[in-house]
Amino acid sequence: MAAPQLDARDPLEPQPLIEGQHTDKTINDSLLAHVWRGAGKGWWACFAVALSLLGMLVIAISWTLYKGIGVWGNNIPVGWAFGIINFVWWIGIGHAGTLISAILLLFQQKWRTSINRFAEAMTLFAVICALLFPLLHTGRPWFAIYWLMPYPSTNGIWPQFKSPLTWDVFAVTTYFTISLLFWFLGLVPDLAALRDSSQSKAKRLIYGMLAMGWRGSGRHWAEYKWSYVLLAGLSTPLVLSVHTIVSFDFATSVIPGWHTTIFPPYFVAGAVFSGFAMVMTWMIPARKFLGLKHVVTPKHLENMCKIMLVTGMMVSYGYLMEHFIAWYSGDPYEFAQFYYTRMRGPMAGVYWTMIFCNVVVPQIWWFKRWRHNIMVMWFASLLINVGMWCERFNIVVTSLHQDFLPSSWRNYAPTWVDITLFMGTIGLFSTLFLLFLKFVPAVAVTEVKELRHELAHDPTADPVGETH
Amino acid sequence: MSEHGHEESSFVARQFAVAEFPSPQTLLDGTTKMREAGYKNLDTHTPFPIHGLEEALGLKRPKIPLIVLCGAIAGACIAYAMIYFCNVFDWPLNIGNRPPHGPPANIPITFELAVLLGGGSAFMGFFALAKLPQPYHPIFESEDFQRASIDAFFLSVELPPGTDMDRTLADIRASGALSAEIVEESER
Amino acid sequence: MSCDDNHEAGSKDRAKRKSLPIAGKTSRPKYWTSAEDRARTAPVPGAANEFAGGTFDVGPDGKGTGVSRRGFVQVASLSTAIAAVGAACRKPPQKIVPFVRRPEEVVPGNPLHFATAYGLDGYASGLLVESHEGRPTKVEGNPAHPQTLGATTSFEQSLTLSVYDDDRAKQIRTGSRPLAWRTFLAETAVRANSLAENRGAGLRFLIAPTTSPFLADLRRRILERFPGAKFISYASLSDDGAVEGAKLAFGKPLVARHKAAPANVILALDADFLGEGNEQTRLSREFAARREPSRQMSRLYVVEPAMTITGSMADHRLRLQGSEVAGFLSSLISMLASRGLAALAPLASLTHGQRHGDPKWLVALATDLERSRGNSLIIAGRRQPAAVHALVAALNVALNNLGNTVEFGTPLTSDAMTGGAPLAALAQEIASGGVDTLVITASNPVYGAPVDLKFAKLLERVPNTIYHTLYEDETAAAVKTIVPAAHPLESWSDLRATDGTVSIVQPLIAPLWGGIQEADVLAAFVGEGDVGAHTLLRRFWQAQGKAPGDFDGNWERWLADGIVPGTGAPVEAGLAIDGAALAQAITPLLPHGKQGMEIAFAADPKLYDGRFANSVWLQELPHPITKLTWDNAAMISEATAKALGLEDSDIVEVSYRDRRIDAPIMVVPGHADDCVTLPLGYGRTGAETVAADVGFNAGALRASDAPWYDRGVKLEKTGRRFTFAITQDHWKMSPDGREIPPPVVEASIAEVLDPKSKFHEELEERRPNPEHPQPQIHKPVDYSGQQYKWAMAIDLNKCTGCSACVVACQSENNITTVGKENVQKGRAMHWIRIDRYYQGTFEDPAMVVQPLACVHCETAPCEYVCPVNATVHSDEGLNEMVYNRCIGTRYCSNNCPYKVRRFNYLNYIADYSAAREMGMNPDVTVRTRGIMEKCTYCVQRIEQKRIATRLEGRVILDGELETACQQGCPTRAIVFGSLNDANSKVSQLHADPRRYDLLHEIGTRPRTVYLARVRNPNPELAAEGGARPKGEQMKGGHE
Repeated sequence: MAAPQLDARDPLEPQPLIEGQHTDKTINDSLLAHVWRGAGKGWWACFAVALSLLGMLVIAISWTLYKGIGVWGNNIPVGWAFGIINFVWWIGIGHAGTLISAILLLFQQKWRTSINRFAEAMTLFAVICALLFPLLHTGRPWFAIYWLMPYPSTNGIWPQFKSPLTWDVFAVTTYFTISLLFWFLGLVPDLAALRDSSQSKAKRLIYGMLAMGWRGSGRHWAEYKWSYVLLAGLSTPLVLSVHTIVSFDFATSVIPGWHTTIFPPYFVAGAVFSGFAMVMTWMIPARKFLGLKHVVTPKHLENMCKIMLVTGMMVSYGYLMEHFIAWYSGDPYEFAQFYYTRMRGPMAGVYWTMIFCNVVVPQIWWFKRWRHNIMVMWFASLLINVGMWCERFNIVVTSLHQDFLPSSWRNYAPTWVDITLFMGTIGLFSTLFLLFLKFVPAVAVTEVKELRHELAHDPTADPVGETH
Repeated sequence: MSEHGHEESSFVARQFAVAEFPSPQTLLDGTTKMREAGYKNLDTHTPFPIHGLEEALGLKRPKIPLIVLCGAIAGACIAYAMIYFCNVFDWPLNIGNRPPHGPPANIPITFELAVLLGGGSAFMGFFALAKLPQPYHPIFESEDFQRASIDAFFLSVELPPGTDMDRTLADIRASGALSAEIVEESER
Repeated sequence: MSCDDNHEAGSKDRAKRKSLPIAGKTSRPKYWTSAEDRARTAPVPGAANEFAGGTFDVGPDGKGTGVSRRGFVQVASLSTAIAAVGAACRKPPQKIVPFVRRPEEVVPGNPLHFATAYGLDGYASGLLVESHEGRPTKVEGNPAHPQTLGATTSFEQSLTLSVYDDDRAKQIRTGSRPLAWRTFLAETAVRANSLAENRGAGLRFLIAPTTSPFLADLRRRILERFPGAKFISYASLSDDGAVEGAKLAFGKPLVARHKAAPANVILALDADFLGEGNEQTRLSREFAARREPSRQMSRLYVVEPAMTITGSMADHRLRLQGSEVAGFLSSLISMLASRGLAALAPLASLTHGQRHGDPKWLVALATDLERSRGNSLIIAGRRQPAAVHALVAALNVALNNLGNTVEFGTPLTSDAMTGGAPLAALAQEIASGGVDTLVITASNPVYGAPVDLKFAKLLERVPNTIYHTLYEDETAAAVKTIVPAAHPLESWSDLRATDGTVSIVQPLIAPLWGGIQEADVLAAFVGEGDVGAHTLLRRFWQAQGKAPGDFDGNWERWLADGIVPGTGAPVEAGLAIDGAALAQAITPLLPHGKQGMEIAFAADPKLYDGRFANSVWLQELPHPITKLTWDNAAMISEATAKALGLEDSDIVEVSYRDRRIDAPIMVVPGHADDCVTLPLGYGRTGAETVAADVGFNAGALRASDAPWYDRGVKLEKTGRRFTFAITQDHWKMSPDGREIPPPVVEASIAEVLDPKSKFHEELEERRPNPEHPQPQIHKPVDYSGQQYKWAMAIDLNKCTGCSACVVACQSENNITTVGKENVQKGRAMHWIRIDRYYQGTFEDPAMVVQPLACVHCETAPCEYVCPVNATVHSDEGLNEMVYNRCIGTRYCSNNCPYKVRRFNYLNYIADYSAAREMGMNPDVTVRTRGIMEKCTYCVQRIEQKRIATRLEGRVILDGELETACQQGCPTRAIVFGSLNDANSKVSQLHADPRRYDLLHEIGTRPRTVYLARVRNPNPELAAEGGARPKGEQMKGGHE
């Protein structure tokens, strides 16, 4: 059959990137089908759940704004807790999207095309969730929202640009903006395709407006390719810088467990790790229910497993180094932090969960059979999401609750608001994601077509899907 | 539909010859032929970018990279200037014994703003150069042109007033098109 | 300066004072902060109230968000509150005189200071009260006063809160019928006349012990009119034991006055002389002065059942049950007698052979006491029985300390006896129906009285009961007529210090809630109720003709200075003891043969006898030893807990005689075994909103025949658990093996005096060293060009942990309270906290306290992380908080290695009453929700002084500018000043060989430095207990 020859240029990879015989038309129809198809029971069920979680988020936020941060579990010394944990967690998840679409694009990884749209959307929504927290966690958000911006205020005070928090503001807003532009730019040709294959006038009108009158002009394509590649080129260092800067929030401080030079690489690796886990968590059900199995093939999933294995090992190396340096530096506070507080302290449970989920679990992907067992893959990805959350808990809370002077050591316990806020952002994320799946092609149709042709025009393969 | 255009004195309808080609490869060949045949204002319309179209259409180097470069540099300069003005020039303060001007601390924001403006100009630049959004284009008059975004490969030639339509259509067909027609800008 | 006069004293009688031998060095100590490892039991939110009875959300007053419960009271009292504002803003009608000569009219913004006095149990503490536009805002000690010497206790500091307390009684009423003062006077006149007919036979006055000559005179006049009437003094924490003891020893009731200055060796027998009592402030100062590390350094032995402030300062501490102290004392006496102290021979036989306490300890102590005859001091606590006080007197006499370290004088209180006995007599009379009218001015006798008197019931049998009170408390609920009392800061009166010196008490403000002064109530019975205390007081003193010259002049001077010169009380001369007789008298009194676990009642260092229960400041003030807030706990030793199968935080049923109460257990270090300590003053059930539902009432077990100690108490597990609100959470630091540098440094005097000792090597590592400075990336900012370079030094060797500074800071800086639940969450707001570290075994630990506020690091880690420039450095090196710029990221707090920053997690100030707001310091911003705050080195005081001195065209001199904590400190442990003045006290201390910087190793370059704690162990005992135990000993405490 023809399928294996589709990617004969890649002899090491037996599975095809696109399964079955396709024409542009069939690809087009199959990939847009889920947009035209009416929402099924399943979708509505998920949407209902998502919306109710979102409702809880609204309640939790209102309560926080009404009463103050005191309704959270934070205290002195644990000045940061769930708020910052969730912020870092969500930002980290966002990273996979940009990484897949940008870096894999630059490295011309063909398999990216089937999942990049998906991942980019995920980035956007994750960053939206993340953005909530830095604002909410401040004592006076109504000022925080604009005092962090350098504007000539009446009292003449400027922001303090040596603070990593100020860096954060610029990093995260930039990250969100660029991701949004990148995503939309990639979406334009598909919107045109939607416009042109839409049946009702209304849809045609709406998608038409969004498509901005795209007509696939060769002159446009010429500039388009460049600006797309350049955006990708810019996003690549950006995505690395963002989590680096997030890690500075901790690395630049003096707190044992925060004051660590390995944080930037280790945070970025962690981000990609968790990001891919999240992509997988969503992709596996999506490819089943949206009928994308022919473009999101076992090969894609396997590649993701490999990436998670690699990044997981990087993260493990990070943990290893933290502990090594704590011992090697001879700093008693560092040592106490890593060998007593974390391993045996009141929050040791979280630490060991982290070790299990982030260090042990990925190791299963050394074995091919686990890289092909969808169910196992899916559960593993869930565990990794959990593990990465625990990692942030360890860094933020565990480090703070026992620092230098034993007299100020304090325990920490979250309140219902903390938990609701977290669940709520998951609701927000899911809501946005479900809407995305409903109204936008989940796979970059244009790029898949392009890919198909590239493969088809491979000299070693015989022309496929050409209309004679 | 296309007759009224001539009676109108005030409005001169632009005319295009639109031809569909069976495959990207044939489109490339056809385009090259037409260009060599001396036709100007050629354009192609395809569902996805096709390798070699730039040459076929005889386009110059794209301008985007330069625009992005300028944007990025501007971003960096603005950022550093802003930081310097705020924390060093306008109101220097003793912040935990750190010197007011600390270059290392300025790197992150400088970089981020460079990326922001660079990326922004890449995006804006493209739409500006492509003159998009542009809700209407004469070529949309063609019936099956909508397949251009799905699975069809079109070549369009803007015809200066008083061109010999038949000859043009003939040339296009000769260059390997499946079908060819003349579309005319409608007055709306 | 205290050290100077100490040296004088030193030189004066160095001849007869042999310097003490010095202990050798031992190994580095290990510190721990508490008993069990709470690590694995994270506090369960909500579980907090299973004992107190659940409240949903706790507001700053510690009650359910305030609003719900207090709301009603507030609305009800709104009109009064508004009236109050009016009242507050006009000066009191009578002429009161500022401390320093100033134009009398108030200059807005310029506070005036008025000298006045406050008597906790009748004895005067001379105060200076700061008044802004007629509103008292801050209490300081009066430097001219012989008792306070310019310092204060936390009780005195809290006066500016209670004066504005919205819960205070506000209406004269009989039953529910409101009365006008005039009506009350009229009715009283009528009643007085009818009483006068039978010579006032049925008329009784139950008053609080007082030293006021003015009130004594009033009393005389009342008794003239009503010869049949009687006055009874009552205080639930009385010193009767001491008075009776003196009576046993010398044949007449006398009061001892102690002097710590000349004492080389001090033996405190269950006496917390640094933590409570009328001499507390002065003795603390004198004691601290003698702790300067030198060969003349004094040595303190403490024998006590539960760790106290004094015990924590001890060089050697022996934990004994309260009732074993007598035995210990007689053993000591017989030992001294056997060593040739002839005077004690007759008393030697008291021990019945058996030795109490560790013999080695006894020997060492005895040797020390002998060695420093004439310069030793033995003090017995108020909880000890008369016999012990008598023996102590005998011992002091025998060691001829009399006249040097201890003096006796006739009691200055109008009644020598103020305890259960007189009250029991009154109860008798009431029971027999002999009392027709009872006027109560004592503080809350129904709550404080021994429970077996059933005082509340008795009161029902009195036809007319008139209660003069600050609060609608338990007693108010049991009487017919209530007369709201004027607050001490609203009253005219006079009081005498322990040495007899008289201070005139002048009001700072007109009575806010129409309170009536005690003098007016009493005067009503001689028909002068409408004359006014001010006039009566002036009349009285005019009649005294104390000083020559025109009275008005003297009067103004007395008011201004806060003391009346030449009013000191005489000292009893030629006291002698007949040992044989004493032995006779005492033998039957010595405790014998009682069996069972010991129950010990104790005055609470925060609420005293419960009268301060409605003060949020004191309720939330961490207990000096246990760091417990918003509750009291039944304290037992670890061994006892094990024996009874109890754990910390268990709620037990305490059954004693036929009474039982529920109480939460706290297992505390250094507590005597087989003995439970129950702090009094909690479990109040009056109408006060703050006091309600806090702690348990130990008084419900207290019988008149055993006010302090008894045996036969049982503790039974109820199965329920309690969650304490403790500011210094229970963690072990070293036992789990981690080796972090101890935050407190201490050494034996030997090590300190030996310049080549390991101690000095270690300290070299812990402070900046010009030879090899710490590596720096940035060039340190140079402050030498500035006019001032503010800095602080805290001498751990002087700090007793009394916590006066904490309340002083709270009062000066408008620091809010957060309520129990928020304390449990770890959100207490105190800018200065007192860290407590134990060392040694759990059974016999040594304790060190360390006051810690913002140390104003020169390379402040908090500053560079703030995104909005809300915390920055000033030219003079202050680490400043810009409240109105703060957005509350809390990053600064996270990055503060000392964790001294405090965050307003909720809008704690939301339900402040209109009245409370008047007590705020107008010079300090009141912080709202979402803002970070911390110690500012009292920047408002700095700026005020700066302005004042600029006007005089000079610089601020060293010592004329004091921070609130420094000013309140009884031992002068805190010193503040400018390092640019090489001769300033703070500069000298920064150069002191004992100086070290907390967390020096992380390079924050703090401006506040510490001076190491020094202990002066007896070489014969140095190995054990005292200063430096061995590592394995301390392990023992944790297995």
